[in-house]
Amino acid sequence: MNRHLSGLRILALSVGLATILMPQAQAALVPWSQLAGKTVLFVTGGKASPKPNDDALVARHLRKLGFVVRTVDAAVAPSAADGAALIVISSTADAHELGEKFADTTVPVFTWNTFDYPNLGMTGPVLHRDFDVIDPVQHYADSFAVLYGFGANITSEISRAVGLRPQLFGTLYLEPETAGWGRPGPGGTVIADFFGSRRYAAVFTYEREATLENGRTAPARRVGFYLGNDDFHLLTAVYGPPAADPNLRHWAIGLKLFDAALRWAASPPPPPPLYDPQALDAALRRAARGTKVLYVERVNGGEGRRSDAHIVAHLRRLGFEVTVTDQTAPQSVARGMDLVIISGTCSKWKLANKYVDAPIPLISLEGLLSDSLHFAGRDRYTDYGEHGELLESDDPPENYLDIVGAWSPMAAGLKPGPMKFTYHPGVLKWAWPLPDATVIATLPNEPREDAIFGYPKGARMADGFIAPARRALLPLDNPSYDDMTPQGKALFDAVVLWAIRR
Amino acid sequence: MRAAHVRRLGSHLMWVAALAVACPAAGAKVFPYRALRRIALPAAANVSALAVVGRDLYAGQGDSVSLYAPTGALRIAHRRLDGTVRALAAVDGQIVVAVSHPSSLEFLAAKSLRVLRQRALIAASPSALLYDPAVHMLFIEDRAGHTVTRLDPQTGRTLGSVRLAGALGQMAANGRGTLYVANATHDAIDVTDARGMRYEGAIPLRRCHAPHALAMDTVGRRLFVACSNGRALIIDADLGFTFVRLPIQRGGHLRAAFAYRPLGPHGWKGGVFIAGGGALSAIQMQAFVRYRAGGRLPVTRRITALALAPAAGVLWLAVARGGGKPAALWRLAAPVSESQ
Repeated sequence: MNRHLSGLRILALSVGLATILMPQAQAALVPWSQLAGKTVLFVTGGKASPKPNDDALVARHLRKLGFVVRTVDAAVAPSAADGAALIVISSTADAHELGEKFADTTVPVFTWNTFDYPNLGMTGPVLHRDFDVIDPVQHYADSFAVLYGFGANITSEISRAVGLRPQLFGTLYLEPETAGWGRPGPGGTVIADFFGSRRYAAVFTYEREATLENGRTAPARRVGFYLGNDDFHLLTAVYGPPAADPNLRHWAIGLKLFDAALRWAASPPPPPPLYDPQALDAALRRAARGTKVLYVERVNGGEGRRSDAHIVAHLRRLGFEVTVTDQTAPQSVARGMDLVIISGTCSKWKLANKYVDAPIPLISLEGLLSDSLHFAGRDRYTDYGEHGELLESDDPPENYLDIVGAWSPMAAGLKPGPMKFTYHPGVLKWAWPLPDATVIATLPNEPREDAIFGYPKGARMADGFIAPARRALLPLDNPSYDDMTPQGKALFDAVVLWAIRR
Repeated sequence: MRAAHVRRLGSHLMWVAALAVACPAAGAKVFPYRALRRIALPAAANVSALAVVGRDLYAGQGDSVSLYAPTGALRIAHRRLDGTVRALAAVDGQIVVAVSHPSSLEFLAAKSLRVLRQRALIAASPSALLYDPAVHMLFIEDRAGHTVTRLDPQTGRTLGSVRLAGALGQMAANGRGTLYVANATHDAIDVTDARGMRYEGAIPLRRCHAPHALAMDTVGRRLFVACSNGRALIIDADLGFTFVRLPIQRGGHLRAAFAYRPLGPHGWKGGVFIAGGGALSAIQMQAFVRYRAGGRLPVTRRITALALAPAAGVLWLAVARGGGKPAALWRLAAPVSESQ
């Protein structure tokens, strides 16, 4: 019996380890060959579709990609999606008729029905603010502007598949055309945007378990795409000898982006991480062996001294080789290190621009460094800020976080929604990172104030800075570590593990 | 007597049909030209090539080249050559003629058609000539030999050659040193760097079978392709990207021509005309990114050549002899309301 229990424990531990060690980003896109023969439920307006439209072309394209396409109209029952690998929703389907029928489906959804975004919880409900459709009749000038998209995210699976760069690209072929944008919630990932602003997402995704804009959890992958009724055939592409020009290749990527986003939606997502502090601890101990951490603090620095000491002790207990250094020490002390952790006791003034370009992972416990570290823009209290700091913040002290990126290993397997981060309300820092960051948690009721997030290596950070290695923010103010709940500590450990994972 | 009567009746019926197409109900696509004059040609052979210089028309028929006045009523000059005329090109004040059996290149004076120079050709069977005035490049295509050769436009000397596998169709040049050739076997447009006559690759044509006809707008950098399966494609040559597909008549061996202001100074901004397959189709250019079907004229006789004379607002068609009728030239012009 004991042996059984012990076996079960080992099994549970290995499952936990496996999920914790799972790659952070979305699972790799499966090859097209693996999607061949899978069924796509293609929802169109049917006979009521506005004309002209490209639905027939899209269906043909889907078949060419290997899918079995079942075309239905908006009146279809949600159960029609049973057994399908993907639901594709055209803008020709009446969003009012669609309603919320696919909101809870566990089948991935790929949609360019902009008016249906709110029904699916992908954006808020207000036209022009949360989503919009630009067309040449109502918005003639803007209908030229949407011919140009910007590569907002360059590290997602979709972005990598397309070779998306942080630069403009041609979305549709040259004619003033109809295109939609949405403003996803913090659990969404903006892949490409319009008008040079991530507020106008041309292509955006939600990973399974990510928090949707309406606060619910995505039951499967969701993709919003910028197409209009009849511009599929205008998705940019380059053929023949012009394709040899890399600049043209990176410009005319509309069709590639469509295909890659479709493939991502239809690919199985990574298994959701499980909340298992024991397994997390074991994984961290394994990873800590031989790993050198530089802990940068204000040596002998007042109120956070005890917390700093306890963080260092925790890291050492896990097996890390920790070197403590003062904030004024030169960056050369980081040579040979594997991870830099910057304490909340550090002064932005004294730290200057050190470690910004360190080619090793870095975790900042101080949100107010977000501008100097290129985590976010430079507008204090707009791009980054804090809650609960006396005389420095308009916002009251806080001790909860809202988990929005539960799918990521950085979330330590915690469920989406509010979680108690510290026992007592205190100072919590936040920043608004660029779309390349994976956001794990926001401050409650502040979906744009992100408390925990991470940039993968190669990510586009603020000011055009490219992350030389992983970067993460944890909102631990000076004394907060000692007040953390077990869930808060799990988040701390999960972020450290994510940062050092090779 | 009865046969002649039936022929006349048939001819009238055809014009009625053409008129019906040319004047359909309001809102439909109206073919912009009407046939104003049909010139029956005396010789037995069909017209193999047409070329336009300004308002004048040059026609190659059998072993001779003729120069016609803009109205078509008058043959101004005529020249017999030593072989069969296969292709014509207007080159800087001269008319270059590709002749087969024996193969040679003849340089004729534009007004008198006097032979200025001759040069023997290596190509066994010259099929087409193309002159790109912007870069002064002259190309000759040999469909049987699957080659395109660049010639010195003044002397006819060979400057380079490229071999292109497959059934070759019309050529087009972009005025910047790139030559495009329709390839009916590969459903593609072969692209050649004309300076070194180096094959650069092919632009694939999706859902276009056996493209034969090709024309180019060198300003908008658009390639117009007519496919045998009843599709015309408009391609952004800079991207190889097809952004417009329009229905046209089905049929092999189509030919195409493009011109700005084809109906004269006040007509369409640009137009593409596709001949063959029992019809003459038009595509109207409204803007560099906007094109629409511009109507279709049924032509029951086989079309052997096509040329646009935008200065005169005229489209010339050469139709083959048949049904007891001789080969003919048709002069089509826009009705006053279209051209003004």
